[in-house]
Amino acid sequence: MSGEAALMSLTAVAKAIAARQVSSREVTQSCLHRIAQWQPKLNAFMAVEAESALKAADEADAALAKGKSRGALHGVPLAHKDMYYDAGKVTTCGSLIRRDFVPATTATALQRLKDAGSVRLGSLQMVEFAYGPTGHNYHHGAVHNPWNTDHITGGSSSGSGSAVAARLTFAALGSDTGGSIRMPAHFCGVTGLKVTWGRISRAGAMPLSQSLDTVGPLARTVEDCALLLGLMAGADPEDPTASSAPVPNYTAATTASLKGLRIGVPTAFYVDDLDKDVAKVLDETIAVLKREGADIVKVELPDQRQLTAACQLVLATEAAAYHKRWLIERPQDYGPQVLMRLQNGLSIPGVLYLEAMRWRGPALSAHSAATSGVDAVLAPVAPVAAPTIAESDVGNSPNAEAVIQRLTRFTRPINYLGLPSLSIPTGFSAKGLPIGMQLIGRSFGEETLLTIGAAFQRITDFHEKMPPAA
Amino acid sequence: MSGPNPKDVRAIAETAGVPVDTEVANRIANSIGPAFEGFAPISGTLPFDLEPATFLLAQTAKVSR
Repeated sequence: MSGEAALMSLTAVAKAIAARQVSSREVTQSCLHRIAQWQPKLNAFMAVEAESALKAADEADAALAKGKSRGALHGVPLAHKDMYYDAGKVTTCGSLIRRDFVPATTATALQRLKDAGSVRLGSLQMVEFAYGPTGHNYHHGAVHNPWNTDHITGGSSSGSGSAVAARLTFAALGSDTGGSIRMPAHFCGVTGLKVTWGRISRAGAMPLSQSLDTVGPLARTVEDCALLLGLMAGADPEDPTASSAPVPNYTAATTASLKGLRIGVPTAFYVDDLDKDVAKVLDETIAVLKREGADIVKVELPDQRQLTAACQLVLATEAAAYHKRWLIERPQDYGPQVLMRLQNGLSIPGVLYLEAMRWRGPALSAHSAATSGVDAVLAPVAPVAAPTIAESDVGNSPNAEAVIQRLTRFTRPINYLGLPSLSIPTGFSAKGLPIGMQLIGRSFGEETLLTIGAAFQRITDFHEKMPPAA
Repeated sequence: MSGPNPKDVRAIAETAGVPVDTEVANRIANSIGPAFEGFAPISGTLPFDLEPATFLLAQTAKVSR
C-alpha cells in the first residue's frame, strides 16, 4: 500500500487492515509520526501512549494473521476526548481537579469501540469539564486550529476537532451538551454527529448536564460517523436513559439518494446576523443540495430564543449541582471561566429549572409540528468561522457569557430539544478557515441526516481538504 | 420576569451553601439575567398537569410529512 496510511478515512483504513493491505502497526506508526510532528503546534493530545498503542497494534496484527478479527475496527488506532472513563487509565476531564483520576470502569461507548477492535492511541485535550465552546483551557493551554494555529478549534471537544482535522486520529469521540461536537467540527472542517438524546449510552462519560449530554463522533466523513454510530448506539443496562429503540443500519443509509427529500431552511434566527462568509456558504450549500434533487423549502420555526434560554437554565443548574461539592471544597482549582459559569447555576431557583424541564415536551412537539413537512432542517452551526484565540480569550470578564452565547446560539436550541444534528464541512471563509452547516433531524432520525450528509460529500470535496502542510 | 440582582444572587448562593462575594454576585447577575428574560414568556404559563416526562413521549411520537 502506497501513501501515508494516516490520511485514509476510518472506513477505508479499517477495510485495508482487514484485507491485510496494511498492518495495524504501520497505521499506528503513521499516526504516531504525525502526532510527533503536529502536537507541539496544536496541543491536541492530553496524553500520547505510543508504546502501548504499538503493542496493541502488534497483537491485532498477530490475531488477524491467525484469521481472528475482533470487529469492524480491528487494529484501527483511535484517540478520544479525555472524559471517557477507561478502567485503569487517567481521565483528567481537562481539569486540575481530576488530574490524577483513575476510573474503575470503562464508558459503554468506548467499550463498544474497543470490542470492535480499536487500538488506544492516547487521550485528547478538551475544555475543562467540557464547559466552554472555544477550546481554551486554563490548566492545559488552548488547543490550536490546524487550519490556522492563531485560531480556536471550538469546544468543548477541542482536541477531537483538531486531531481529526490534522489526521492524527481517524476519528474521535466528543460530547455535545450545547454544541461541543458541532462547533469543533464546524471550526476545524470535519464531520461531527450530535445524536438524539438517549441514542448512545452516557454511562462512564463524565457528566455535565444529564438532560442535555450526548456522546458522539467526530470523523472525516459521514460514512465514518455512520460506522461509529452503528457500533455505539443502543440500550445499555448501565444507563437507563439509553433508548432501546432499534438500531438501524446507519452505514446503509449513507448510500441512499437525496432525491425526493425535503430540506427546510429557517426563515429567521439561524439566518440572522450571519458573517458574510457563512451566509455565502449557506447559499452555496442550498444550491448544491437543490442541484442533487433535494426539495428546498422555507420553514418557520417556533421562537428559538426561548429554547436557548431554557437550555441555559437547565445546563447551568445541572452543572452546578454536579460540581457543588468541589465548588465548596476546591473552588481555587477551577479555571476562572469555568468557575464563573458553574457559579451562575447557583442563582437559578429550583422552580424555574423545573419549569424549563416541564416545557421540553411541548417545545419539542411544537418544533415537530413546525417541521412536519420536511425531512431535515439546514442551518449554520455558528454565525462566524473560527475567531482567533486572542480575541475569544474572555476568561471570566463581564462580557464572557455574551461571547459564549453568541458562539452557541445556533446549537443550544437543538440540545434542549434533544434532536440529532449532523455538522458537515461545506466551504471556507475568505481567510481559508472552514465553515460547516448542520442538518437537524427528527428524534431518532439520524439515518436521514446521514443520507443527506453522505450525498453532499459524494459531490463535494470539502471534507477531503487538509489543513496547510497537514 | 427579570433576572436576580446581585443581592438576590448572594442570598440564593448562601442558601445553597456556596456563598459568593459581591464581585462574583455582580458577575453572576450579569451573566444569567438574559436566560431569565428569554424564558420569561414561558415561566408561569405552563398547564398544571404537564410532567417533565412528556419530553420522552414527544421524542417517540410519530411525525410524518
